Amino acid sequence: MMQSNTVGARIEAIGLYFPDASLDNKKLAEELGDWAPEKILEKTGIRERRIAAEGQTALDLAEHACRNLLDKPGVSAEEIDFIILCTQAPDYILPTSACILQHALGLRTSIGAFDINLGCSGFVYGLSIASGLIASGSAQQVLLVTSDTYSKFINKKDRSVRTLFGDGASASLIVSSPNLQSTIGPFVFGTDGAGAKHLIVPAGGARNANSEETRIEQVDGSGNVRSQDNLFMDGAAIMAFTLAEVPKAFSAVLLKAGLVIDDIDYVVFHQANAFMLSALRKKMKIPEEKMPCRFENVGNTVSSTIPIVIEELMASGKFQPGQKIALVGFGVGLSWSACIISL
Amino acid sequence: MSEFYEGLAEIMEVDVSELSTDYEFGEAWDSLAVVSTIALIDEVYDKAVDIQLLQDCKTVGDIENLISKTDG
Repeated sequence: MMQSNTVGARIEAIGLYFPDASLDNKKLAEELGDWAPEKILEKTGIRERRIAAEGQTALDLAEHACRNLLDKPGVSAEEIDFIILCTQAPDYILPTSACILQHALGLRTSIGAFDINLGCSGFVYGLSIASGLIASGSAQQVLLVTSDTYSKFINKKDRSVRTLFGDGASASLIVSSPNLQSTIGPFVFGTDGAGAKHLIVPAGGARNANSEETRIEQVDGSGNVRSQDNLFMDGAAIMAFTLAEVPKAFSAVLLKAGLVIDDIDYVVFHQANAFMLSALRKKMKIPEEKMPCRFENVGNTVSSTIPIVIEELMASGKFQPGQKIALVGFGVGLSWSACIISL
Repeated sequence: MSEFYEGLAEIMEVDVSELSTDYEFGEAWDSLAVVSTIALIDEVYDKAVDIQLLQDCKTVGDIENLISKTDG
């Protein structure tokens, strides 16, 4: 049976935030040259991405998402007793962004706060920590925030990533469930640091500090331009990794939960792009109606993609009590995780 | 033609009748084509081919050889 690590937590509400500026395919086609807007849409499934303004950081987006959550009925800032912020674009090397967020939101000082540095798998990892804090009695109401601004790492002349990624943030309130039924979990996790080089910003950390040298732009075999200060993605390696690990993680979490695929109402994958999701859907034989997608107008928002889909399912009434959703996050690390949630 | 040729024609944006083992990809064999072909091979043959070797393929025949040499 389920152990205490999955008992007693549920997702109460989700707030989202996207920056104002839009980068649509017409604008991209003008800048990148060789791809028509229709081709970008056909290949990626994305019409527009939202891009953080200059000087607007992931922490700013996170604060907006949190305020949108706090505006919802039944959500009270006073009750929040833990913040988990998942971001790969912190304001500072130190201090921790989650601590700054506590003050910006005017939350109590008698609460815990920390960051987790994960990308596309981060929301599911965050859920596991939040439900663990609640199950252990350490917290009652956890604010789980995801926010990233990959656009700031992306070279404007690198279509391999510029066409895909958008900026955005989510804020989820995870609360202890009064009837103690487990509605978050079980979880399975995966990590393969051998693939760290496949999705990376090579310079800017302690290993390889920014310098004149890391700023030098180079053109790759496909005509994309980037420096070591920019985001690099080996799309082929990420596709191979995804096709190998995601189906296994999905089967493992179903097994752990004692469920079969027919018991699952929706499968929410990290919203990478249309061709990756379509490859997964075909390989895993998931009916289209069971696989809600929401990236067409925001792009791949890294750790926020999964809560963005859940928010829409909740808002539209498509996610009802008793229904089960399987979540699978996967990407940079390489890191992956899957879990089952219900309301 | 086979499911593989149909898929490859879609990726290369040519008519399937144009594809044969000798068909050369040329410049069109870019990173997106490689990514899409990884997914196609996985779907049709349930095989994970070596990415570097796939990138080095010049013709349809090269890919077919690579698939047949790869364990399922």
